[in-house]
Amino acid sequence: MSAYAALSRAVYKAAVRDATTVFFTFAFPLIFLVIFALIFRNQEVADTGRGYVDYIAPGVLSWGLANAALFGVAFTLMQWRNDDLLRIIRLSPTSIWSVIGSRYVVALGIGAAQCVLFVGVAMLPVFGMRPDPTWPLAIPIMLLAVTAFLALGLIVGSAANTPEAVAAIANCVVVPMAFLSGSFYPLELMPDWLQEVSRVLPMRYVNDGITYAFTGFGTMTDYLVSCAALVAFTAVFAVVGVRTFRWSNDS
Amino acid sequence: MSSIDSPAIVLDAVSKSYGEVRAADEVSISIGRGEFFGLLGPNGAGKTTLIEMIEGLRLPDTGTITVLGMAPAPRNLDLLPRIGVQTQRSAFFTRLTAREHLVTVAALYGLPPATAEKALDLVGLTDSGDVRVTKISGGQRQRLAIASTLVHDPEVVFLDEPTAALDPEARRDLGQMLRNLKAIGKTIVYTTHHLDEAQTLCDRVAILSAGRVLALDSPRELIARSGIGTRLVVPAGRLSPEQAGTLDGVNGVAVEDGMLVLRTAHTARVLAALDGEADLDDVETRPATLEDVYLELIGAPQA
Repeated sequence: MSAYAALSRAVYKAAVRDATTVFFTFAFPLIFLVIFALIFRNQEVADTGRGYVDYIAPGVLSWGLANAALFGVAFTLMQWRNDDLLRIIRLSPTSIWSVIGSRYVVALGIGAAQCVLFVGVAMLPVFGMRPDPTWPLAIPIMLLAVTAFLALGLIVGSAANTPEAVAAIANCVVVPMAFLSGSFYPLELMPDWLQEVSRVLPMRYVNDGITYAFTGFGTMTDYLVSCAALVAFTAVFAVVGVRTFRWSNDS
Repeated sequence: MSSIDSPAIVLDAVSKSYGEVRAADEVSISIGRGEFFGLLGPNGAGKTTLIEMIEGLRLPDTGTITVLGMAPAPRNLDLLPRIGVQTQRSAFFTRLTAREHLVTVAALYGLPPATAEKALDLVGLTDSGDVRVTKISGGQRQRLAIASTLVHDPEVVFLDEPTAALDPEARRDLGQMLRNLKAIGKTIVYTTHHLDEAQTLCDRVAILSAGRVLALDSPRELIARSGIGTRLVVPAGRLSPEQAGTLDGVNGVAVEDGMLVLRTAHTARVLAALDGEADLDDVETRPATLEDVYLELIGAPQA
């Protein structure tokens, strides 16, 4: 078995064996879906003939994906550094890219599973989401979103030395970003200047891209801009992530 | 360079400073193949820095280090599979079982799962293989940590306080395991605060303080050279300190906790002389230990 495959398996098992991870990754976004469905029950968005769920679901999904990717990798990195696992890996012939690659492939798998579960539930008659035929466009956005937030998670995981610090920093990053990016609340209802602020936040582009894929809201150009923006954010986060990376806590 | 007779580890005038602190000061040590080498010293003496430099995790400011004829730093992919490192913190993959953990570690070296099974067997953990790493007992944790170190069958093994926080029985078992390792020809670099263990296990020890090597030799040689000699403890009231001082072979007399303590390099002569003066029942002979030597060198009060 290659180091890459073994590490992927180790990361996967660590994730699915933790009830908290499973809950926050899969159940938590669904709880938000239920809450918003109750708030906006039976309301239609003016002039579209669509239910609110078609606009709310992509937002909640964007947040769920970003949240799981960022928390997952930040926790793994902090934990592996604290437990001296990074040191063990560094003292073996395995390359650091196998480590990051294994974490990446697990994050992509988890992201895909989140999407399938979440959209599947949202399409139940009780929620009534109806994705457009362009829905496959959500797949590249999903991959780019996981990549960007994984890179951001590397920074958080290097900055934090305790689980509490990971949770605190990650929440400070993700929760305001979710609101400011229109994941929970339509951007159109926000003041103009706040809408401008959202342009410097990666989650906005996840949100825009997934919304376009599922509802056709926006244009193909916007969609491509979202993809490009996520690539750019990934590059920036990756550079910072590599610079802040630490093999151990005491060096 | 790679001949069997060449030393496993050579440090030549290795120095390393952190700001004002000298963590290593002109350290020169040569460790032979198959040697069980103890690195002793108080916390902050520079043991960890020294070991991390040998492992290639840190670079010395000056001086050279070779391990199995190679430079350990920068990260040397030819050397890494030939050394095994046990860290102080037990490094286990999160939420895996003991077996899964070892399979993962084996894979880091490109080795099949069967290797993990062998390592599990080597440390006697086959029956606990399916227990989660968080659920196994302290003694088993240490064995698992050692199994992780040995999974790729390294030639040189670094063990960092493997017996810390173990109960006496687990310590004894682990001691036996370490002897077995030596018996199969591993070179072992061992740090510990248990000086009794170092004395019985190590072929040679280096005693470090403030980055400098204060002493470097076999425990037996260090004890002999220290001149501390044997202490004879005589229960109170058998004879006066003045009387004791006149006995043949006695080098020093002290009263400790109401007991008379005689120091000598010639136990038999003192005992013979003492036999004429006082009852020998309950007179204790305490040969000098590595701990005595250590404490004398480090400067702490004698026990």
